[in-house]
Amino acid sequence: MYLLRLALASLNNRRFTALLTVFAIALSVCLLLAVERVRTEARASFASTISGTDLIVGTRSGSVNLLLYSVFRIGNATNNIRWESFEHFAEHPRVSWAIPISLGDSHRGYRVMGTSSAYFDHYRYGRKQPLQLAQGRPFAEDPFEVVLGAEVAEALKYTLDDQLVLAHGVATVSLVKHDDKPFRVVGILKRTGTPVDRTLHINLAGMEALHIDWQNGMPARGAARIDAEQARQLDLQPKQITAFMLGLNSKIATFTLQREINGYRGEPLLAILPGVALQELWSLMGTAEQALFVVSLFVVLTGLIGMLTAILTSLNERRREMAILRSVGARPWHIAGLLVVEAFSLALAGALFGLLLLYVAIAVAQGPLQSHYGLYLPLALPSAYEWSLLAGILLAGLLMGCVPAWRAYRQSLADGLSIRL
Amino acid sequence: MSRLLLATLLALAAPFAVADVRELQWSDLIPADAPPPPPPVALHDMSQLADALAAEAGPAAAQQSPAEPVVKELDGVQVKLPGYIVPLDMSEDGRVTEFLLVPYFGACIHVPPPPSNQIVHATSELGVKVDELYQPFWIEGPLKVEHATSELADAGYRMEAQKIYLYELE
Repeated sequence: MYLLRLALASLNNRRFTALLTVFAIALSVCLLLAVERVRTEARASFASTISGTDLIVGTRSGSVNLLLYSVFRIGNATNNIRWESFEHFAEHPRVSWAIPISLGDSHRGYRVMGTSSAYFDHYRYGRKQPLQLAQGRPFAEDPFEVVLGAEVAEALKYTLDDQLVLAHGVATVSLVKHDDKPFRVVGILKRTGTPVDRTLHINLAGMEALHIDWQNGMPARGAARIDAEQARQLDLQPKQITAFMLGLNSKIATFTLQREINGYRGEPLLAILPGVALQELWSLMGTAEQALFVVSLFVVLTGLIGMLTAILTSLNERRREMAILRSVGARPWHIAGLLVVEAFSLALAGALFGLLLLYVAIAVAQGPLQSHYGLYLPLALPSAYEWSLLAGILLAGLLMGCVPAWRAYRQSLADGLSIRL
Repeated sequence: MSRLLLATLLALAAPFAVADVRELQWSDLIPADAPPPPPPVALHDMSQLADALAAEAGPAAAQQSPAEPVVKELDGVQVKLPGYIVPLDMSEDGRVTEFLLVPYFGACIHVPPPPSNQIVHATSELGVKVDELYQPFWIEGPLKVEHATSELADAGYRMEAQKIYLYELE
């Protein structure tokens, strides 16, 4: 105990260098933990976005690409698929439910998804949790009704019965708006922590109505315009959708149906198993994650080496201190212990301060991260893995403390009191 | 000299002339008396393209029977089986909690997928961390055999996996 007191008193004497060392370690620890936290949380949020869906079907592209645009609203579809293909497989005897998805429009940066009421009945996230409405009801027959994700409603301050205008394309600031056909908010979903929160859900008929009078890639002019009231009277049967999700009666038939869809003669389709595509995505991201992790490990190492340098350079100045300690009865191993304790307390203070920095950073960045990237970072206690990283850093600090300790031990044996500085 | 002064003055005045910039809407780019566009065609729609190709494609791949016969005697027997894990569902921390165990990895597209009696639909409460899909695992637990009563009924093997561990080459 007195060793610790002595070490702290000695550090206090050199508090400026000590503080700088602690700060360097803290920054590196914070970086390492932040990289780790973002990695695990990104994976968790990806993993909990889709559950219980057996196959996702879209136009032929790549499995990761299809997964990203249909479920995570990242990127865009390369092509649409025909409504008849959807009907063909929705009525397939092995299929228990089917959810059509139609994408391509947006509202102030939030994607709009055209779907059917099956979405509210069958879509599952997390551990097979269904979507729940916080307020209102799902959209009904009227094409101009919209159900908002929790975050859309919160960020844009919409409440039930508000009117909103959707924009063509997926840019945050849109120049081409469907302003002749406003939508009415009829429901707001409960928060799910998935991309559903950042989505506006409309009827497929609404998606069709939005574009019904478009000609040659631009909105109609003058008399050719069809307003919302006229559109309601028209046949709004969709002719194409972007993708669809399928739930099967038996999981064992997954491969059979996947094969059948991929070999469908009507048009080129791609069916993926979401779990497999997610695994592929992770092995893609794995390399980048590992690179980041290694870089942050080296930053921690740099921090610890900085500490080692600071202690080693101070050793010469402190020969007198050691000599005095020896003269009052300290043994050489006391001197060595003193330095180990000193290194360990620096590393410990650095780790604790780094942890504190991490939580401050998470608290500050939580909101923006959630709204811009849909990544939710909880203010949770460190996980077992994070504790083991911290323990590893402390152990490394302890080992590094042995280097100056050994030198001080040798010096204090040789120097005695006869030291001339 | 006076000419130079004039030029300088003009140059200085140039920014003020910008006030004359006319703001356009995209619709201003179309002459008012432009002929109406041709009769509407479905937009964003290249999906009909496939029709042309479908006619030339070969016959659709033959489907194998999804309800292959199963060995009923294995029902309830505690077994251990090696195979590859095809994830179906995972927990938040990325552990696979529901999967299909198949005898070979990858959707080999040269031959049809494994028949239904070559697939085990397994669930696991704890889940298993799968880093690579190419990695075989042993799964251990009681096998449940579901007998097919009709062509489309649930047929095949199920297991509540009690132990899942890496398959190592001896």
